[in-house]
Amino acid sequence: MDFNINNFVESFIYGMKYFPNTLRLVFIPLGVGLVLGTAAALVRVYKVPVLCKILAFVITVYQGVPIIVALMIYNLIFMMKYNDFAAFLHLKGTIADVDQIWIGIFALSLTAICSISEAIRGALLSIDKGQDEAGYSVGLTKIQTIYRIILPQMIPVAIPMLTNHVVGLIKASSVVMAIGIIEIVAGATIPSSRTYSFFEGYVAAALIYWIFTVMIEYLAKILRKHTGRFRRNLYD
Amino acid sequence: MGKLFEWSRFFENIPKILPYLTVTFSIVFYGTIFGVLLAVFIVLIQIKKIRVLYQISKVYVSFMRGTPMLVQLMLIYYGLPAIIDPLLGTSINRDWSAVVFAYVTFILNQGAFLSVIFYSAVTSIPYGQTEAGLSVGLTYYQTFIRIILPQMIRVALPPFGSDLVGLFQGSSLVFLIGVTDIMGRAKTIGSATKHVLEAYVFDVIIYIIISLAVRLLFWYLNKRLDYTNGRRTGGKEGTPWIST
Repeated sequence: MDFNINNFVESFIYGMKYFPNTLRLVFIPLGVGLVLGTAAALVRVYKVPVLCKILAFVITVYQGVPIIVALMIYNLIFMMKYNDFAAFLHLKGTIADVDQIWIGIFALSLTAICSISEAIRGALLSIDKGQDEAGYSVGLTKIQTIYRIILPQMIPVAIPMLTNHVVGLIKASSVVMAIGIIEIVAGATIPSSRTYSFFEGYVAAALIYWIFTVMIEYLAKILRKHTGRFRRNLYD
Repeated sequence: MGKLFEWSRFFENIPKILPYLTVTFSIVFYGTIFGVLLAVFIVLIQIKKIRVLYQISKVYVSFMRGTPMLVQLMLIYYGLPAIIDPLLGTSINRDWSAVVFAYVTFILNQGAFLSVIFYSAVTSIPYGQTEAGLSVGLTYYQTFIRIILPQMIRVALPPFGSDLVGLFQGSSLVFLIGVTDIMGRAKTIGSATKHVLEAYVFDVIIYIIISLAVRLLFWYLNKRLDYTNGRRTGGKEGTPWIST
């Protein structure tokens, strides 16, 4: 077996150079997903008429779409239509001025919203209905009850599921290399196309992802202990 | 350049893409069947706590869960020849079709993911059940088959279903190593006719139908296997298959 350690190190360094791109591809969708996903989950749990039915349908259907297929379609539409769109809005600049990473962020955000809203919804449903009633009975409004009573209890329940989704996002972010965005995998294989050491390149990429996900899981464990400390070790 | 999307092209593509659905299904089929075998093997190691193998299995599962499917696919695609060729003097990159690498990747990947599901299912059954079985004179093997396994399947079923949905979606990556599945076919249609959007949209519809069908199937199985008749509280017994 021929494993060239020098090529491996070079690939590792190249991969780390594009690590910030992966961070953007993970944490911007995560932020969007947390805000809009929580909103969608609240709409569905508190059964806002019409909207909750539409969201249930859209989220269920969209979860059936593989991220790579969605990405290819968005990329295609973007390539074909951006110039028309920019002309329509009188924007300056053409397609060449737009960083393609935003297509990846857009696709990953949609996926994140769907999966995170499911996680938050599960956590919200785990909170007893009596908690809402208790909140109303002491004169809190609906918003106050959600914000002060329900959300703080929901967070420690949601964290394990959310961690899975963050790890899922990290892993999903690798598919954006298919439309030419350079992140860890594409970065780590830049030296490989010169030296033809693709195996070393992908081992380097795998190692970076592995370290990253193990770290995230460790951080989540600490965070859950911290946010759930009032639960008297129910889940620890 | 004509219109971006045209229904006539969409319907023309259907007979061209549909035959390649078998490739997607074969990847999922082999991945699940041999993945289950590998997972059972890993769970046995972890429950019996066999030394050295136990640590190896932990690292293996962590690696498979912590790295993207895409990277694993590429690692197998470039790594398997790098390991096997010098040993046997073959050149498997040329001799094997690309889909074999996809099979190997999905079997290894599913083995790890399913082992986690099975392990937590086995450990969710209280040890008292095993003791009860042994105390009435069943052998260890009989206890497992008759007492533990039926309860375990019930617990493992919902996560197994969502894993299967994920597996179908993950199989859409194999076109990146040159396997012609429904995505790969869409790409070849695209390069032949310069119109790829219709083919992609058809693929999306196929994936959505598969995902909904798998969910429906597992919702039904879950209901059929509910021996408690809904007495068990806190479970998902009463949930409709699309939760509103």
